Amino acid sequence: MSLNANSADIAFTFKGGMLPMTVMELSSADPEHIRSQLAGKLSQSPAFFQHTPVVLSVEKLDEPHLALERICAVCRDHKLLPVAVRGGAEPVRQSAWALGLGWFAPVEEGRSRLLESVDTTATPDDAIDEVEAADQEVVAVATRLFRGTVRSGQQVSASEGDLVVIGAVNAGAEVLAAGSIHVYGALRGRALAGIHGNTQAGIYCRELEAELLSVAGNYKRLEDIDSQLLGRAAEVHFAKEQLEIKPLG
Amino acid sequence: MAKIIVVTSGKGGVGKTTSAAAISTGLALRGKKTVVIDFDVGLRNLDLIMGCERRVVYDLVNVIQGEAGLNQALIRDKRVENLFILPASQTRDKDALTQEGVERILEQLKQDFDFILCDSPAGIERGAQLAMYFADEAIVVTNPEVSSVRDSDRILGLLGSKTRRAEQSLDPVKEHLLITRYNPSRVTSGDMLTLDDIREILSIDLLGLIPESEAVLRASNQGVPVTHDAASDAGQAYSDTVSRLLGEDMPLRFHEVQRKGLLNRMFGGGRR
Ligand SMILES: Nc1ncnc2c1ncn2[C@@H]1O[C@H](COP(=O)(O)OP(=O)(O)OP(=O)(O)O)[C@@H](O)[C@H]1O
Ligand SMILES: [Mg+2]
Repeated sequence: MSLNANSADIAFTFKGGMLPMTVMELSSADPEHIRSQLAGKLSQSPAFFQHTPVVLSVEKLDEPHLALERICAVCRDHKLLPVAVRGGAEPVRQSAWALGLGWFAPVEEGRSRLLESVDTTATPDDAIDEVEAADQEVVAVATRLFRGTVRSGQQVSASEGDLVVIGAVNAGAEVLAAGSIHVYGALRGRALAGIHGNTQAGIYCRELEAELLSVAGNYKRLEDIDSQLLGRAAEVHFAKEQLEIKPLG
Repeated sequence: MAKIIVVTSGKGGVGKTTSAAAISTGLALRGKKTVVIDFDVGLRNLDLIMGCERRVVYDLVNVIQGEAGLNQALIRDKRVENLFILPASQTRDKDALTQEGVERILEQLKQDFDFILCDSPAGIERGAQLAMYFADEAIVVTNPEVSSVRDSDRILGLLGSKTRRAEQSLDPVKEHLLITRYNPSRVTSGDMLTLDDIREILSIDLLGLIPESEAVLRASNQGVPVTHDAASDAGQAYSDTVSRLLGEDMPLRFHEVQRKGLLNRMFGGGRR
């Protein structure tokens, strides 16, 4: 009992963490314009929009005032949860705080996008920097294993880690993973890896016939895939701002 | 206890009713007490193919709604002993079928029969789901074309999730592939999917392969299930299918283009 007393007294611990986060970089400040594009995206990959947290990046806009509340409402209508705003002038920062959102300073040009979340100068609160540095938590998440054929109309997803399918993914089926997707069979349906924004995720399959391939929201349709690559084992990664598909092995 | 087998496909017009009629006839011819139920409420068809349309008094919906007893609604086949038909209603609304009602009828039939075949309507909606819900086995009817294979794949997904066996985590519904309207020369010319393509995509056991055949049209116009036409290719193919359903090993026939030899030409070779 006495041994546990200490830990029982603690209400919480600060833990640093690098979470994959989708940044929604706005190039329009018009809520209706945003809405119409979201509606299209939602029908393309409904599984991505499951109360997915997003950071609204307004760095590309140079309007001092933004209809931030309406933009957030449009996001929430499409099951995206704005958790913070990045960039913008002082009024934007004030209204983010007023809406209960966090605010990140804009990222300097040329800085690696992957490091921005542990960037000490970018965080407004010094206390957070310390824990970030002191305790980099590495979370191992379980791989989801699916044995059998994923059939037309079915969806199999791994919302945290990788997805391994021992079998085929048929046309009209959809497989999704926060991490990478491995298909030990033919991939004929849609495969979306890195659904929470992890650009390091990949897709691997024994026979490529996919209707759609996507890594962190960057996609290619069957039509866009070089026909030389079809019918063969392949791997798919996000590189140089686009999807790269290579024969495997 | 009876085995409940649903004949289903997703896509319409692929040969479900033809197959349900032919297979139930084949089972009865082997001495199995069989009933075939038409679940296609509003479009009744099975009674025409079975040639008993003039003897329909009550139907499935009447029995479900308590307006008639099961024995009043069951029609005894004229040609084969042990074969019964439970027709669908042409006039009623599809929503007249309820899951409880269907369950009650199936439970009752199970006491008396060896096989209960359910002829499913096309589609993946309520009617098709009701027809498959209580099934022990499923015959998935597929034509050698992309859209039919896609729909069969969809149906296989539903069989694995929207049936009583799936919902109660019992042994899964046993799935059989039945390829119908197979035309080997159109397959060879690339107009249609090959047998191997279909098997690879659907990856379930092949129960049978029925060639595209004049005999089927003749049979349905006459209201005599094609199984009775024992000289025809389709009749033989359905008979093989029934044998496999009963656990016999039968070699596959009618999947290759036949070159007509002299003997074939002289005696017709059973292919027409
Ligand atoms: N092997 C075959 N060869 C030639 N014609 C066939 C064959 N099988 C079925 N047909 C024809 O295809 C048509 C549709 O068949 P059938 O009514 O059995 O299909 P179904 O799947 O029950 O249709 P629905 O979805 O409308 O219930 C009919 O005209 C039938 O005669
Ligand atoms: Mg029919």
